[in-house]
Amino acid sequence: MAKRTTTRSVQPKPARPHRHGKGRCVAILKKLSAYIDDELPGTLCEELRKHLGACPNCEEFVASLRQTVALCQHQPAPALSQAERARMRNEILRAARPR
Amino acid sequence: MKTPAPAKQPAPVSHSEARTAASFDTLYRNHVDQMYRFATRLCGEPEAAKDLVQETFLNAYRGYQTFRGDAQVSTWLYAIAARACSRMRRKRKGAPDRELSLEEFIPTSEGDFRLQIPVDGLSPEEALQNKELRQALDRAIAKLPKKYRMVLVLRDMEGLSAKEVGSIVGLNERAVKSRLHRARLFVRRELSAQGIATSEPSHNGHPLMQGGR
Repeated sequence: MAKRTTTRSVQPKPARPHRHGKGRCVAILKKLSAYIDDELPGTLCEELRKHLGACPNCEEFVASLRQTVALCQHQPAPALSQAERARMRNEILRAARPR
Repeated sequence: MKTPAPAKQPAPVSHSEARTAASFDTLYRNHVDQMYRFATRLCGEPEAAKDLVQETFLNAYRGYQTFRGDAQVSTWLYAIAARACSRMRRKRKGAPDRELSLEEFIPTSEGDFRLQIPVDGLSPEEALQNKELRQALDRAIAKLPKKYRMVLVLRDMEGLSAKEVGSIVGLNERAVKSRLHRARLFVRRELSAQGIATSEPSHNGHPLMQGGR
């Protein structure tokens, strides 16, 4: 494990050092949507929460995923004008009419 | 004795056709804005979105009598639009969908952990006042491979449940959630890479990066 340097010397050391191999990275990454959607079973959720609390970068990653979802949920969409709505309706009915 | 039918019977269309047309008008009035919003999110461009909306309602008109009412009307329309969208895409012969693997979303540099965009301390609505951010989000969603975009749009933008999304795209809930997760990670990475605001100082090395690529 590469030595981690930190500027947050006042913070307590994590109880367990993180030794993520690629498999572990993927295992954590895999659960994050279920975590932010509150769909993880209690024990898994607790385990992940404990990990995130000890790991600022992971916490930021989750926060950024949460922000991404919130942005998607609130992204405004353009509306049709009344004239376009009427024009499209007429075109649909014209196309639907048997020839 | 039967009463004779009224002399004046201007019936250019049959009763069932008239009923269909009347039902269609209600259907169209109630759902056209919703379908245009959905189509815009899928297609990106307004003209392509209008084509998709027309195709959707045309197919809905033709299939209205077969609608059994065992799904919500809006779910039925979403499914028609999703199929129409796939057909239109096949006609255009766009690039085939690529699969997104979780490995590609493991952060590889220190700046990858947070969004490099102005969202901190703002509600999503406030953050989205920023036109540049709205455009960056649109670009990120447009870059998603289509099948991932479909799930993200239905679930996170249109607000459908995973079960409803599954019934529309023909996947079980587990597969929907897996696809949605990859789509979110993709959009997150794109937003992180676009750097709308000045970058904030990042953290030092992180275990998620170790053992990554």
